[in-house]
Amino acid sequence: MTNKSNNGFNTWQKSFEKETKKKFSDVKSETDEGIDIKPVYTKDDLENFTFVENNSLPGQWPYTRGPKASMYTNRPWTIRQYAGFSTAEESNEFYKKNLESGQKGLSVAFDLPTHRGYDSDDDLVMGDVGKAGVAIDTVEDMKILFNNIPLDQMSVSMTMNGAVLPVLASFIVAGEEQGVDRSLLSGTIQNDILKEFMVRNTYIYPPEPSMKIVADIIEFTSKEMPKFNSISISGYHMQEAGADNVLELAYTLADGMEYVRAAMSKDLDVDDFAPRLSFFFAIGTDFFMEIAKLRAARTLWAKIMKNFGAKNERSLILRTHCQTSGVSLTEKDPYNNIIRTSYEALSAILGGTQSLHTNSFDEAIALPTDESARIARNTQLILQNETGVTKTVDPLAGSYFVENLTEELSKKAWDIITEIEELGGMTKAVKAGIPKLKIEESATKKQAKVDSGSRVVVGVNKYKNPKEPSVDVRVIDNNRVRDDQIKKIQAIKKSRDITAVEKALDKLTNAAKDETNLLAPCIEAIKLRATVGEVSKALEQVYGRHFAKSLSVSGVYGKHFEGDQEFMKVENKIKEFENLNGRRPRILVVKMGQDGHDRGAKIVATSFADMGFDVDMGPLFQSPRDVAKDAIENDVHAIGVSTLAAGHKTLVPELIKGLKEIDPNSKIIVFVGGIIPEQDYEFLYENNVSAIFGPGSNIIESAEKVIDLITDNLSKV
Amino acid sequence: MDLIDNILKGERAAIAKAITLVESSKDSDQQISRQMISELIKKPGKSIRVGFSGPPGVGKSTFIESFGSYLVGQNYKLGILAIDPSSQITGGSILGDKTRMVEISKNPNTFIRSTPSRGSLGGISMGTREASIILDAAGYDFIFIETVGVGQSEIVASNLVDIFTLIIGPGSGDELQGIKKGITEYADIFIVNKNDGELKIEASKTASDYKSALSYYKKIDELENQVLLVSAIEQTGMEDVIKTINQIIDQNKLKGIFEERRANQLEYWIEEEVKNIIATGITKRLSSKGNISKYSEKVMKNEMSMFEAVETITKDTLK
Ligand code: B12
Ligand SMILES: Nc1nc2c(ncn2[C@@H]2O[C@H](COP(=O)(O)OP(=O)(O)OP(=O)(O)O)[C@@H](O)[C@H]2O)c(=O)[nH]1
Ligand SMILES: [Mg+2]
Repeated sequence: MTNKSNNGFNTWQKSFEKETKKKFSDVKSETDEGIDIKPVYTKDDLENFTFVENNSLPGQWPYTRGPKASMYTNRPWTIRQYAGFSTAEESNEFYKKNLESGQKGLSVAFDLPTHRGYDSDDDLVMGDVGKAGVAIDTVEDMKILFNNIPLDQMSVSMTMNGAVLPVLASFIVAGEEQGVDRSLLSGTIQNDILKEFMVRNTYIYPPEPSMKIVADIIEFTSKEMPKFNSISISGYHMQEAGADNVLELAYTLADGMEYVRAAMSKDLDVDDFAPRLSFFFAIGTDFFMEIAKLRAARTLWAKIMKNFGAKNERSLILRTHCQTSGVSLTEKDPYNNIIRTSYEALSAILGGTQSLHTNSFDEAIALPTDESARIARNTQLILQNETGVTKTVDPLAGSYFVENLTEELSKKAWDIITEIEELGGMTKAVKAGIPKLKIEESATKKQAKVDSGSRVVVGVNKYKNPKEPSVDVRVIDNNRVRDDQIKKIQAIKKSRDITAVEKALDKLTNAAKDETNLLAPCIEAIKLRATVGEVSKALEQVYGRHFAKSLSVSGVYGKHFEGDQEFMKVENKIKEFENLNGRRPRILVVKMGQDGHDRGAKIVATSFADMGFDVDMGPLFQSPRDVAKDAIENDVHAIGVSTLAAGHKTLVPELIKGLKEIDPNSKIIVFVGGIIPEQDYEFLYENNVSAIFGPGSNIIESAEKVIDLITDNLSKV
Repeated sequence: MDLIDNILKGERAAIAKAITLVESSKDSDQQISRQMISELIKKPGKSIRVGFSGPPGVGKSTFIESFGSYLVGQNYKLGILAIDPSSQITGGSILGDKTRMVEISKNPNTFIRSTPSRGSLGGISMGTREASIILDAAGYDFIFIETVGVGQSEIVASNLVDIFTLIIGPGSGDELQGIKKGITEYADIFIVNKNDGELKIEASKTASDYKSALSYYKKIDELENQVLLVSAIEQTGMEDVIKTINQIIDQNKLKGIFEERRANQLEYWIEEEVKNIIATGITKRLSSKGNISKYSEKVMKNEMSMFEAVETITKDTLK
């Protein structure tokens, strides 16, 4: 007998309807994923599953309950904090301190020039050196980074995708010169290029050669580095860019399938490399959804790998790293972030992650300080040591709600995966720009929910702190770092055998022309002290550099505000403006330098257009001078700079200088949005910035301020 | 006017502001812009105006980036007017052309202006013709006008330029039925883009389909109705395009067609402008008299026939 027909349930339903004065069947809350959450789940909700198997066990098919039988009861998850800044020397100090305080694995954050294959002395990266990660120009830097950290004992994860060849080569050579054979190196290289084209934006070459490089690395590591994960297939960045959990799950697994095919095209047997594929997911604030996502991911991957013909059980098992969501953290009332991160961490643990990064409370302000990093790490230490969560494997198994949610997510993701497969796979979809657009649409919807107040963010759109605390920030002097790096590069260039280096680089260029595995010739060049930039350029000669053609969503933001008073107020102001000035207010939204955070810029552009602005959208990676030319030629009223990777103090003054150089009488005003520590406001205002819009800014309010300031400015003669 | 001197000197900001004036819907701006254009017309430059039209997504912008890089590489100065189709009727627009012209937009010898088409006829915005006069006076060798090809737009677009090219994609053979006699009269060159990778075979096929379709409509003159194969992404076929453009221009100049065409275009624009002014005037009068609703009510109540209503309103309005 099922529950619904039983008396108990009927009685419950009556009580529920009496308490809420609503019909039971009407009470549902729709999640971002489009799943209706019911107020109560029962045994009935465990029936008719396609993916989830009700009586499965941890470490057993379909691995919903975890990759291992014993999970944390035997060994807790690895505390692996992502970090890196400034020079290798400073990052090395920071790593060593963290390891002494209980961190277990390393995870290297490189700076943006390194990510994009430029040396620190390249003019294109003036504002970016050492700012958002550690600068690595040569193997000497890599050696310093791991100074006194024995690479045969420490597992090292490296977030590197675009410049994956020279960076992995440097790591291998650094190990060798430490006396550690490559076969003993353990850790992970991210090496996931598809999501770079979708959301992370540190690609270098076009999709096809980039996929070839991914396969080269899988091939090389599977043969020579048995303890090293060849790839970290990442959904994390998708969620951070705005994807809901179904999109994150589906696109990540679809990416994974593409990599499996790429590796198999190298004549590798699936079981030769599949056990060393690893995953990476974000854990946001939707507590149960995130737990269900990890369980669903394992369930689906097992099925996918079985379809690929995997025989080895380890090929079927999805192992993952997780990071709590940075985008859920706020600049306003920042101590709330400690609480948010704790819940997210718990979610990741209940979902059964293998390793975890927890964010610092100053996430929306700057890179973490020593102090904020300590609190972030302790969040995990407390979970491991004080809460008892490690004592039972998959404690939520059998929960009507969680099991049902796991099944629902699996189903929805499977539908998307099937659709992508029918279209010819993820590489094709990515090239057409469809997943990126879907993620941007989802991001825009989320923004509209927060701006309209239908989604509460404590301290931002409700329960604001009347006395905002001011917090210390980590300050990085990028000019100093750049000078240091340039000196090091120069010294190395003097001492190396230049003919040998050139020969090695030529050899690499030639190797890129055929199907040769590129890692070996890279290692050779790096050993001879070729720089990361030189190696990247040697390949660029054959492959070219990729420029993204960006599409934009339109109407998504506006739709959410039909009939909204505030929204209409801005629309009307724009109409008035047009009547008065003969055209709409026109704003150029730009990203400068190597900063690839485009979520905010895209959202601002589409929602401003929905309100009636004419919005020019610049490409990524513009120089201040390019922006000035673009702005003047299109005679825009204003430039909106979106800057999140801390280049603003160099790039914004350059832009304003550039405008004056082309037109000394330029009346174009400049707004700045993104990550700007309070301490920098004065500097920007002194440099003639008209207004600053930090994280959490309400877009409609921002638009109103923008139009008012433009109008003001035009009335000044 | 200072502005005119500065345009003639080729100053970027002056050109930009002048284009804003010609695009402006404000009466006072329109007055200034008329004066300005009359002055500029007296100081013509030597630009060749080339139109690039074609369905959305065939790679017009990418082609312009690629072909444009080739031209600026040969030291030509290049002005680009991109009419952006992405505009919404109610809201504003997102002008994203520059994300497809990354390299060329950095070059000091280019001037790139995007304009939202705002749903106006054929994707040509108000002021495009005047904008090209400005760029001409400012000393640009080539002026490219990018428009989306929809319906009637080719006619309008082709009346703006000395050479009109239609860009098509591989496998757009379905549209072949669509190229009726009309288009062959407007387009001087057909460019089949995306002749690369897997698409190569399809692209060649499309090109030969076009060639035979064209020969059917028009007697073959070597230079007329050229069908060229290019890949904007791989930057191949660019020499052919410039060679063909130059040949057609030279031949047209020799035969006097070049001037004749410009004269015809002038006639076209004068006629359009007159029609435009009359239409605007009449629309204003119509709405101020409120005749339409008055008479339509009568028609509804069967007090008069629709034909009678139309006649009465027309007479009254033109009085
Ligand atoms: C999402 C995110 C990512 C995503 C980006 C996805 C994408 N396509 O955008 C991913 C995961 C890929 C990512 C990667 C990295 N990230 Co990140 N990321 C963030 C995060 C968590 C949120 C940013 C965001 O999108 N917020 C949501 C949008 C809507 O907000 P917003 O951009 O701030 O825009 C709002 C306002 O600022 C304002 N606004 C912004 N621009 C404009 C313009 C105008 C005209 C107006 C009116 C208003 C306005 O209005 C918007 C609406 O409110 C921030 C931390 C945080 N919480 O802010 C870190 C952060 C920006 N990232 C950081 C770093 C270091 C990185 C990496 C460089 C790490 C590394 N070394 O590998 C990489 C590389 C990325 C790259 N290519 O540049 C650092 C930067 C440090 C610093 N500034 O000192 C931050 C601050 C985190 C931290 N504390 O360490 N990141
Ligand atoms: N394979 C291939 N793809 C191309 C080529 N040229 C353009 N594309 C692709 O076609 C798509 C559209 O290119 P755009 O240049 O934006 O096309 P467009 O005609 O200007 O588009 P609209 O301005 O939106 O009408 C992009 O994804 C380009 O990468 C080419 O030569 N070969
Ligand atoms: Mg275009």
